[in-house]
Amino acid sequence: MTESLLQEPMLTGGLDDHWLATRPPNALDSASLAWLEELRADGARRDRRVRELHAHLVRVALREVSRRRGMLGGASGPELEDIAHQAAADAVVSIMEHLDDYRGASKFTTWAYRFVINEVSTKTRRHLWSARRVEFDDYDWERLPDRLTRAPDAQVAQSAQLAALRRAVDNELSPRQRYVFVAVALNEAPIDVVALQLGSTRGAIYKTLFDARAKLRVSLAEAGYPITDAERGS
Amino acid sequence: MTQRLTIAELLQADPNDIGCEQGFALISEYVDLEVAGGDAAARFPGLALHLATCPACRIDHDAILDAARTEQPTT
Repeated sequence: MTESLLQEPMLTGGLDDHWLATRPPNALDSASLAWLEELRADGARRDRRVRELHAHLVRVALREVSRRRGMLGGASGPELEDIAHQAAADAVVSIMEHLDDYRGASKFTTWAYRFVINEVSTKTRRHLWSARRVEFDDYDWERLPDRLTRAPDAQVAQSAQLAALRRAVDNELSPRQRYVFVAVALNEAPIDVVALQLGSTRGAIYKTLFDARAKLRVSLAEAGYPITDAERGS
Repeated sequence: MTQRLTIAELLQADPNDIGCEQGFALISEYVDLEVAGGDAAARFPGLALHLATCPACRIDHDAILDAARTEQPTT
């Protein structure tokens, strides 16, 4: 089933709120209206549309799973097909459960794609996690300078800034923030895998990472190593 | 896979980033606008910012966009 992103904690960003509040009344295009009417119908008419939706989402899922083959390591062809078929089947169930949430703000099919892609992501991360149960809490800080761009003459200044960053990671972050920051930002672990590892969700882990980064920026500014000119006076 | 970042990118934390949840709620509108040739980033700047910062949501966005551009229902 869809692990709904709709239930995750929100960040505070609000630039898109105006659009949400003021968008025009929805005018369904004819194809979307047909999907909606027939999926809400009874009997054979509805069943035919459900089968059509399922077949459509299977194609989308198969292509997406194939594209993520590299992420899935040693998964065999039948395993990939199985992931795709499960994703499509679960997406159809979720779509039928959420049909009343569809307001026509987008095409019905585009709205449906987010369900099946969300299912592919969920199943992909489960596969990744079951195949590769690794911890991400250690980081070789000596590697960090090689990941960062810098001006040729700025090596000394950056070394001091990174030393301050390391101190802030060790001393300012909560244990959970530290784990998530080290895993996702430094070790480049997939955020979905870290979410599964911690029994959490993508949105919650992203929020933890966001808060950790914000805290580190403040710490760096206070230590005399602001990231931006605006933070210089903070 | 690894690409060089600025330290600002490593510590990207823009308060206008709408996050995964609200991004998920808006992603199909964003994609439809892109497919129609509109300026989705201008209409949904918080989501555009999020997609630039969250690799997982960006991968999902790319997949939905690809499906919207290429898939045609059979009827």
